[in-house]
Amino acid sequence: MMRLSWAATVILVAITGLVFVLLYGPLFIPIASSFFAASHGDVQWDAPSLEAYRGLAANRSILDAVTNTLIVGFSATLLSLVTGTALAIHYCGGKSAAREAMQFAVFLPFLMPPIITGLSLLIFFRETGIPRSLATVIIGHTVFIQALAYRTIVVRLQTLGPSMVEASTDLGASAWQTLIHIILPNLQSTLIGAGILSFALSFDETLITLLVTGTANTLPIRLWAMMRLGFAPDINALVAVILGLTILLCIVAVRQFLPANPEHQD
Amino acid sequence: MLFVGSGRKGPGPFVLACLSYGLPLIFIIAPLASFLTYSFFHMENGQIVRGFSLANYQRFFTDAIFIPVLWRTCVLCFSVAALATLIGFPVAFLLSTLKGRMRYYLLLMVLVPLLMSYIIKIYSIRSILGGNGFLNRFLLWTGLIEKPLTLFVFNLNAVLLTLTVLLIPFAILPIFLSLERIPRTLIDASSDLGASGLQTFVRIVLPLSLPGVITAATFVFVLAIGDFLTPQMVGGQSGFTFGRIVYSQFGTAFNWPFGAALSAILAVVVIAVIAAGGRFNRQRP
Repeated sequence: MMRLSWAATVILVAITGLVFVLLYGPLFIPIASSFFAASHGDVQWDAPSLEAYRGLAANRSILDAVTNTLIVGFSATLLSLVTGTALAIHYCGGKSAAREAMQFAVFLPFLMPPIITGLSLLIFFRETGIPRSLATVIIGHTVFIQALAYRTIVVRLQTLGPSMVEASTDLGASAWQTLIHIILPNLQSTLIGAGILSFALSFDETLITLLVTGTANTLPIRLWAMMRLGFAPDINALVAVILGLTILLCIVAVRQFLPANPEHQD
Repeated sequence: MLFVGSGRKGPGPFVLACLSYGLPLIFIIAPLASFLTYSFFHMENGQIVRGFSLANYQRFFTDAIFIPVLWRTCVLCFSVAALATLIGFPVAFLLSTLKGRMRYYLLLMVLVPLLMSYIIKIYSIRSILGGNGFLNRFLLWTGLIEKPLTLFVFNLNAVLLTLTVLLIPFAILPIFLSLERIPRTLIDASSDLGASGLQTFVRIVLPLSLPGVITAATFVFVLAIGDFLTPQMVGGQSGFTFGRIVYSQFGTAFNWPFGAALSAILAVVVIAVIAAGGRFNRQRP
């Protein structure tokens, strides 16, 4: 873009540095603490220890919560990719007011504050007599993240254009054959990208989950419950593990999303 | 495109259409409808009375508590939005001046904290700001203060700071995208015509990035006003926000119809803010 003067660069770099401290400080402190012993809720900075990690490995309730979170994350991601693809194919099938209305409805849970999406589902489940459980959490997450999956897939379908599908049907393929052999292969990288993002969103979803969850807790809910009683040092170890996994996920996502050669635009 | 114009009629298109209208209808529209319906019910002796009544809305407008809390919450969230946008702009601007891979790596580094557990971040910020936290210890150590500050412990200041730190990435991204879209030729033209860097920034870059700034502020506001966990965890007694009142209706206060009415009011505020932001951006060429 534009060339900066020396003074402007220094100021901008200083502010950016401050923002990075603000963003990463809250992540760094629990990770650093995880490698030291704790007593009376205070970290003993002179006593390095892996006690927190041993505690984590033995903490059934946290490990159960992690398992639940993974179940919910994978189910919601899969469901939202399936429904997102179906809705996107239907939306791209023509122009009509009904299609626009459908699209608006799909976007609503993403636009509205999560507390409203959560409350609506909570009241709906109560009225229809569906007991709150992991299944209701999965529905809550799917409703929320499908908006994102849907949007990415629509964008991809629109750039693809109708010619390939027309060619396929002209050559005598059935709709299902076209779906399997033409549409899905072309959506592959989009689906992977949307899947990663959906999973990440589901993994940390707290506000909707808190309202629709039953007795089986996901990780954020478990953490929320623990936090009111004070924190166990195991959590610090967990943060370190999750941060490591997230960075791994990011590297995968970067390879997926980043243009192979972004140098052409400066 | 798929399933149309082929002249073949199978069950495919029909199933797809049913799915496309049925799923959003059942899982999005029906819940929203039942939530709106609930807001017109009311409670009597711990029982929900199913009959049309405006009692909840009447209570909101007549009780002396709710409107001031909503107002205070709006002011708080506007401050968060303003603060996050102000801090986010220089970062987005610096990113947009970088070249090649570097800008994408830095952008990614801005976004990675969003994938980290919300709860853990709030807890961690609370422990940094707390009476015995890192901030106070650091200030004591430098000798700037003599006893721990209580300015940022369990009050609205703490909520303001925590929300800002949590939401900065949402401010940076839209501003960066709008800055990136400014044609290079305009900036070259400006400097060719003899404008200084500052003049180019004020007359060209700033006005053209304004839609991104408005989007950023709207984003942050909407996310901040819908959050009830952060105020609950760092707000203490004095940091009471509208979101907390809504949430408490579904927990301790146990008045679902009133909670539904309060969230309907929250939805109106959110829609108004999104509409105002969109209108502002549309008016510009």
